[in-house]
Amino acid sequence: MEEIIPSLKGMLQEAIDITVNASNLTILMTIKKDIEGIVADSEEIVVMLKMYGGLREEIPMEIDVDNATQIITLKFQKEDDFNKIEKVLETLFDNAVDLLVQTMDGDFNCIRDIPNIDD
Amino acid sequence: MTDPNAIKNNPFKELGEIPEKKYSDGYIVDSTYIPVRDGVKIAATICLPKGLSPDSKIPAVITQTRYWRAMELRIPFRWILDSMATNAPNPEVVTSRGYALIYTDVRGCGASFGSRITPFSEDEVKDGYDITDWIIKQPWSDGNVVSKGISYTGTTAELFARNNHQAIKAVIPGHGFWDPYTDVAFPGGCFDNAFIQLWSFLGKNLDLNNPRVFRQIRPEAWLLTKGVKPVKSDKDLKFFHEALGQHDANMYVYEHTLTENFRDDQILDGSSFDDFSIFDRKDEIERSNVPVLAWCSWLDSGYCDAIIHRFMNLSNPQIAILGDWTHGAVEPANQFFPSRTSVTPTPKDKVNAWMNFFDKCIYSGGIQGQVIYYYTLVEEQWKKSNVWPPIGHDYQKWYFSEKFTLARKKPENDIGEDIYKINFRATTGRNNRWWALLGLPITYENRAKVDEKLLCYTSQSFEEDTEITGQIILCLYLASTHEDGAVFAYFEDIDEEGNITYITDGQFRLIHRKVLSKEPPYKILIPYHSYKKEDSAPLIPGEITEVKFGFHVTSVLIKKGHKIKIAIAGADKDTFLRYPSEGKPTITISRNSVNSSYLDIPIIKKEKN
Repeated sequence: MEEIIPSLKGMLQEAIDITVNASNLTILMTIKKDIEGIVADSEEIVVMLKMYGGLREEIPMEIDVDNATQIITLKFQKEDDFNKIEKVLETLFDNAVDLLVQTMDGDFNCIRDIPNIDD
Repeated sequence: MTDPNAIKNNPFKELGEIPEKKYSDGYIVDSTYIPVRDGVKIAATICLPKGLSPDSKIPAVITQTRYWRAMELRIPFRWILDSMATNAPNPEVVTSRGYALIYTDVRGCGASFGSRITPFSEDEVKDGYDITDWIIKQPWSDGNVVSKGISYTGTTAELFARNNHQAIKAVIPGHGFWDPYTDVAFPGGCFDNAFIQLWSFLGKNLDLNNPRVFRQIRPEAWLLTKGVKPVKSDKDLKFFHEALGQHDANMYVYEHTLTENFRDDQILDGSSFDDFSIFDRKDEIERSNVPVLAWCSWLDSGYCDAIIHRFMNLSNPQIAILGDWTHGAVEPANQFFPSRTSVTPTPKDKVNAWMNFFDKCIYSGGIQGQVIYYYTLVEEQWKKSNVWPPIGHDYQKWYFSEKFTLARKKPENDIGEDIYKINFRATTGRNNRWWALLGLPITYENRAKVDEKLLCYTSQSFEEDTEITGQIILCLYLASTHEDGAVFAYFEDIDEEGNITYITDGQFRLIHRKVLSKEPPYKILIPYHSYKKEDSAPLIPGEITEVKFGFHVTSVLIKKGHKIKIAIAGADKDTFLRYPSEGKPTITISRNSVNSSYLDIPIIKKEKN
């Protein structure tokens, strides 16, 4: 596991396309690698945003996961909500890897602010 | 980890160069349930080399775990990594070398059915036999099966040999115990409260598929995983939930040991710690004559002693390795070089070395005899020996003397003693050799500050470089104000600048002090204490008694100009239970011509040219 850590950020950026459409308040995430089983369920998307993205509030959004095309669609009613998630996604993958590295180095404090994840 | 320049006697080099890959296109993963003799279904994940032709036959490596054979990763990591990416041994390496890799959840754990009353139960061991039968019936199997693992899986690998199945050709127990009572649960009769409690807590939550437990203990695992991976064919998770339901009947060591003290106390279903030890099952492992490669490190709990005891007592063809890394060799652990960050060899190179051992055992007639490789700290060199203790081993006495000194000369005064009120706030922290079993880094820093709370004795500067290899023996003539108590003693190096570096330690609960002259259950090089109830006795307050016990094995060079120091405590509050549970004892250590407390230090005499 340790050996692939340095390349994780690049792997994530390469594996996931994020397309933002401000005109219809929609964010598309396309997973390029073939996934065995389901791509994700809606709850997992919210957990991901909270755990690695620093999201600390409930944001109303419609989550649609198309397992065939491997496209996840996040649709918002309010521009403010759309902007918040867009901002979270800008750094989410880098944050995820940084948190992983920090905890592997024994830093338990870096996860202190992550809310309880009920999964 | 070890100095990359330490080439001579380096076991990883001596196991051979890494050959060309037999398969280089990666691997395919499948999973299934394997039914065993009593109908329990064992969850298994199988990794095979990609491109294996239908008529190809290959051997299999099996790892049997109680910590989830495969993880259901969280997104986004699931989008880039396969479920086996976090596993050791690395499936990429193992399959590229032309082996199948089988991971199983032992019964009562992960996605397997059944329940567990004790770890390493007879049923758990026998499952290995049935799984081997299943493996050799697979169309890809060449009829050879080997096993390896680290920690729990290291012990399951060693016990795998006990099945005496003709297909089993070699085992690699990494960082496993020999005697669970002294190596991990009750070192020196002192209860390792912290680890046993956390390990039981972790196990219980794993068996109930609750990843939240990781948040407190292994946050990196919590960030990565959302639970154990179900078996692929179990699409509606019917079996998965049924299996988890059966785990409700599991029992855990901590709740049954907290009130126990003795080696012969019954825990769980009436078993004692000896019942799931290796030494108690030694005869069956020897009957298999399966070659064993056992490896561990100096600072990993009492598992360092396990390597020595296995080497001295198990007659199987054997390679033993003792180095300077953390539990499982994830990080370096050399207290003299705390700034080292890289692991040498890399985990991948290490697995390749293990695969070379398996190749030897399957394709080249195995190994002959026994050899131990050990890394001498400060000297930063690998040594190798066919016997333990190594040739040249001798003891050097150092007496506790006036003005808190250690001297070679026995005290001549009729009187002489030092009084110490036990400081129950003394601690080695949570990055010590015992917490290391949870995969944590090992650091013994700031000994000067810690030693201020302890009773210390320091030698003069050494006049020549001196190698200490083996187990130090401490003999104290001690009186206490209380009937119960413990001694925690730290052996340290002091350099010319006054920097104090921990080398090793020993701990001992005083009620177990009776040294027995009868033969111990296995060969040891330190005073034999049975830790049984019948041999225990409370101290008589105020009466001087002899307390003699061994430290954890080490190998270190004390350089010319350096000093040695012994620091004595009566508690290690973040790890061990408090003895006595109440009260504040004061101990008196005699150091006079009648009662001469001393250290017996195992040195290696230099060869004369």
